[in-house]
Amino acid sequence: MTFISIEFLLFLTIIVGTYYVVPHRFRWVLLLLASYVFYATLSIQFIPLLLISTAFTHVIGILIEKQEKKEQKKRLMWVGVSVLVFFLGWFKYFNFVNDSLRSFAAWSGFDYDVPYKEIVLPLAISFYTFQAISYVVDVSRGKQKAERHYGYFSVYFAFFPQLVAGPIERAKKLLPQLKTEQHLDYDNISYGIQRIIWGFFKKTLIADRLAPIVASVFNSPDPTGSEIVLATMLFSIQLFADFSACSDIAIGCARLLGIRLSENFKQPHFAVSIADFWNRWHITLSMWLRDYIFMPLAKGKKKREQIYGAILATFLVSGIWHGAAWNFVLWGLIHGIYRVFGDHTKQQREKMASWVGFDRVPTLHRWWKIAITFQLVCFSRVFFQSHSMAEAFSHAKLYVTPSSWAPSGMIQAIQMFSLLDLIIFLVVFVVVHLFQHIERTKGSAWDWMARQSAVTSVAINLFLIVSAFLFGVSGQGFVYGGF
Amino acid sequence: MSTLEAYNMAFKNGLELEDDVVLEEMKLGESTEWDSIGHMTLIAEIEDAFDVYIDSDEMTEFHSYQSGIALLQRLGVDIRS
Repeated sequence: MTFISIEFLLFLTIIVGTYYVVPHRFRWVLLLLASYVFYATLSIQFIPLLLISTAFTHVIGILIEKQEKKEQKKRLMWVGVSVLVFFLGWFKYFNFVNDSLRSFAAWSGFDYDVPYKEIVLPLAISFYTFQAISYVVDVSRGKQKAERHYGYFSVYFAFFPQLVAGPIERAKKLLPQLKTEQHLDYDNISYGIQRIIWGFFKKTLIADRLAPIVASVFNSPDPTGSEIVLATMLFSIQLFADFSACSDIAIGCARLLGIRLSENFKQPHFAVSIADFWNRWHITLSMWLRDYIFMPLAKGKKKREQIYGAILATFLVSGIWHGAAWNFVLWGLIHGIYRVFGDHTKQQREKMASWVGFDRVPTLHRWWKIAITFQLVCFSRVFFQSHSMAEAFSHAKLYVTPSSWAPSGMIQAIQMFSLLDLIIFLVVFVVVHLFQHIERTKGSAWDWMARQSAVTSVAINLFLIVSAFLFGVSGQGFVYGGF
Repeated sequence: MSTLEAYNMAFKNGLELEDDVVLEEMKLGESTEWDSIGHMTLIAEIEDAFDVYIDSDEMTEFHSYQSGIALLQRLGVDIRS
């Protein structure tokens, strides 16, 4: 039962309907059952791992809080984090490390006989492990009280709207909301439904329509340079539509239950720098990495150059978190290098912009920075999307070859679209940009929607629903669901 | 050296500022020097100068010259000339 299915919509309707009927004191039971049923329909064999991780994190949180001395709390915190990372490492990274060591042994002539193990990656493990680590660290730092109610804690750990692909929530935000009695509220229901509709629209009309086109290029044995350039840029749009749709649906589902989840995206492809991009893309992961990796590593460093090491390490963790493969490691490293290079050359770039005259036309300067940032992000995504390092380097070489950008080649590459696809994308492009324009000029498109008359609101939502039904395609899981 | 002078010194050292910069008007993100990386070097200087520990929540509260003074006062440092 994925988000994009009639079964899920029926399931959600039943849960929301029941939620507001049962007394508040029993609602955690309903949410817990719903979360486990939802997870079981996707990955029943890993329910025991989810239960063990939940129980372990609950107990270690209480034990940490009971310690009187700071040192003891810290020691237990490290035990907790190590066990959680071990679970993640075993399932997600065992074969990556094993294969890498085997390759290294073969290259250097050493004997290495640890066999390959068939290990399936448990669904959502990267997300719930990071959420668990933040809980354990926050309890040890005294920022979060250890939750004594096992039921509420389990719901926090496995809350079905955000279990599979986030947003990664902190206990201090989610737990109090779960414990507060939520009342049936028209605004919440209306907002939740609209976010879900918008998510379905982006997923079925953009992400899943683009996915086969992008895959046809990246799976091709000999794509042309122009095809790689176009497919990489389309992949960036696909990935954004896919992941932000997943977050929209998660946020919408939670809001139907009166619960506010964190926003995960803020128009990332309008970022004016790589630092700005990471403040707009997968925000809850960026904040997590900032608080639990970057800040501890950067703390106490008095020189910018000393902090660069912390930046590179943080982006390496980000890369490894995304996938157990060297191309993800390299993808993370590329972003780290972008960030460090961007900081180190900031003053020279500002002087150059001033010399060119950009400071006299700030709008042009802004759009120039947006275009450059988008291209840097796209280039890194060649590594994100490729299946191996060799393929990634070959695609990256094609991406930066000037002839790949020749208009004639690009026009030929556009032929990968059918006429119907092209028309649909043009219409959807206009709709999405209208939405983003409203976001930029009015603050929030959702507040703007709430101010519209009932007729306008219904008409917009009907347009989105009918478009998704008539022209949407589905069948692809969410890209980030695989992490 | 007064605590205010020490605070100003930490600002200048942490952010590698010229002498003529008007510190009182400085805000996080509004100058080249005080960006997210500069913020970390500034926090390290201030922690050293006043022997305090600033945690991640407090770091986000510290977004201007004035809010830094308010934060330090909350941490028990009386900033005065």
